[in-house]
Amino acid sequence: MIELVELTKKFKQIHAVKNVSMFIEKGEIVGLLGPNGAGKSTAISMLSSLMEPTGGDVRYLNKSMLKNPAPLRKVTGMVPQEIALYTELTAEENLRFFGRLYRLRGTELNKKIDEVLEQIGLTDRRKEVVNKFSGGMKRRLNIGVAMLHDPELLIMDEPTVGIDPQSRNYILETVKRLNSEKQMTVLYTSHYMEEVEYLCDRIYILDKGNLIASGTQEQIKSILSTEKTILVQANRLTDEFVNAIKTNPTVNRIIVGEMEITIIVPKEVNIFSWLIKLAEESGLELSSVNIKTPTLEDVFLHLTGRALRD
Amino acid sequence: MIGILLAKFKLFLRSPGTFVIFTAMSIGFAFLLSGAGGMTSFQVPAYATEEKIRDSYIGEQLEEVNALSLQWMSEAEMVEQIANGKAEVGVVLGEDSFKVIVGVDSPNVTMIEQSIRDIYKKKHQLEQLVGQLQDTEMDIQQVMRSPIFSIQTGSFRSSDAVVYDSSYQALFGFTLFFVIYTIAYNVLPILIEKKEGVWDRVILSPVRKWEMYVANLIYSFITGYLQILIIFFVFRYLVGVDFNGNFFITLGLLIPYVFAIVSLSVVITAIVKNVQQFNAVIPIVAVSMAMIGGAYWPLEIVESKVILTLSKVNPLTYGMEVLNGFAIYGYSVEELLFPISILVMMGVLLMGLGIHLMERRHV
Ligand SMILES: Nc1ncnc2c1ncn2[C@@H]1O[C@H](COP(=O)(O)OP(=O)(O)O)[C@@H](O)[C@H]1O
Ligand SMILES: [Mg+2]
Repeated sequence: MIELVELTKKFKQIHAVKNVSMFIEKGEIVGLLGPNGAGKSTAISMLSSLMEPTGGDVRYLNKSMLKNPAPLRKVTGMVPQEIALYTELTAEENLRFFGRLYRLRGTELNKKIDEVLEQIGLTDRRKEVVNKFSGGMKRRLNIGVAMLHDPELLIMDEPTVGIDPQSRNYILETVKRLNSEKQMTVLYTSHYMEEVEYLCDRIYILDKGNLIASGTQEQIKSILSTEKTILVQANRLTDEFVNAIKTNPTVNRIIVGEMEITIIVPKEVNIFSWLIKLAEESGLELSSVNIKTPTLEDVFLHLTGRALRD
Repeated sequence: MIGILLAKFKLFLRSPGTFVIFTAMSIGFAFLLSGAGGMTSFQVPAYATEEKIRDSYIGEQLEEVNALSLQWMSEAEMVEQIANGKAEVGVVLGEDSFKVIVGVDSPNVTMIEQSIRDIYKKKHQLEQLVGQLQDTEMDIQQVMRSPIFSIQTGSFRSSDAVVYDSSYQALFGFTLFFVIYTIAYNVLPILIEKKEGVWDRVILSPVRKWEMYVANLIYSFITGYLQILIIFFVFRYLVGVDFNGNFFITLGLLIPYVFAIVSLSVVITAIVKNVQQFNAVIPIVAVSMAMIGGAYWPLEIVESKVILTLSKVNPLTYGMEVLNGFAIYGYSVEELLFPISILVMMGVLLMGLGIHLMERRHV
């Protein structure tokens, strides 16, 4: 349905998006995963025609949308990263305002407002001023406003940032429901890999403006098929212990946390017994040593040498 | 577009605090500094040393002064009225000089003295011109500059202080000054809405971007103009200022100024990076414009070349010029066409520049 072709954006100092190519098919939930500053917002601003790309193309139904984005705008609903609402107006007044922008009037508008309020679970709070809302409720209304004109494609830019787990679940469920019940296509942007893992059929991973991986979850995780991830937890960590692991030639990557270490080694290597001996020598008590099933986080770690979240 | 405007006014009604404060401040300052009620016509006992003065040039001209209403009486009656406190001040008019008798010292005294002094000065200039026709040797500049008549002051504070019509001055000055804040703070939401993404939502909707600009700017214009209307209506109908008998034309003459300030606010909003910067810049701009443009004191008393030059690029200067010209000096609208066109031109240029800057920065 939609295609990004070698999309590029250069700001004065930063090359924010570099030759990114993606596609979204009708009815999919596609994830765009990447740490803060990866270029996710920039990429979807270009996709939604709010920003002109430095190079590349945005295509909808095989037509370039750069010159005339009207057909694309008509079918997309954009949920911006910031709360883009009139916070002194009530939930209903906001929906009414933005609904009118889409030329909805009268009973049609009222019906649509009721429907959206129901979908985002704010029917009881419709008469309340947005200022008084919790972070989660604001986020939900932020999404609701983007659905007033029945978009085929919903583009969501980090819709769960800074809210409580309950609201977060509510939003994730809403996205799933919209997708399954209304066949809404969703591009879901996040730096939370669990969300993307839970929601998305296909995933693109963006880092420093580059697409570093793409495909279904299985495809992406198979990048790690030649390696395995070992999680070591201990009561404390000493430099001696950490350095010994770091200098072990069979270890590919290591990431050190407060009381745990993640180690990536080739599949065939067995360093189990070596680790336990090392801990003994260093006087550490290991609480657990696990071989993990790989997550997207591990893929990111493998590809960039950094954790997705810092 | 109508929808956007309606939403804006809904927001306005929900938090009218700033608007009310600035309107009240304008009224308060104008009222205090104009010497409260100084703009209504002031009853002044007058005595002419010679009967014919009443019907001569001096008498006729004094009748024309709106702020004064002379009550002719004998010298003894006048002195008695002042002594009893029935009148603050009285005037004794001679052929070539006048005397102001002060009972209660007040800003009105200065105003009365100035009005009469002006008329005597004019009379002498006329006489001097007539004389000059007969004596062509004389340098007319010399005539205009040299003191050509004497003033006897009774209990005056300082006879050579520069005086002006403090009543209108304060009203016009503070109105034009405070409305800058109201307008600027109603343009500011453009910046905030762009930052927060409300504008992006509008851009993605079928509403065109120019509609968004027009709706926002009409809204800022209306709030600014509404504030001025409220202030002027208060002074017209509660205080009784008569605005040279042409209240509604005065109101109309304010439109170009409000327009220019809306445009200026757009430029400022386009240049600043965030709300904090905006909050810092606006008072600096407003206060310096007021000082340079003659809102606090009349430009006539300013001597600095720099300030006078700067005042030429200041919309407030022209706003004051139009209002003073019309309400105090009684110029016709045609005679004020120059400052009016400058305001309109400034408005158009600044608007173009401001929107250009805003658009360029956004992409
Ligand atoms: N308008 C802009 N001007 C200059 N640099 C920008 C602009 N917008 C984003 N950037 C930079 O581009 C990079 C990518 O930003 P962004 O797309 O917001 O990342 P993400 O959404 O993944 O966190 C960042 O380094 C950011 O500072
Ligand atoms: Mg972002």
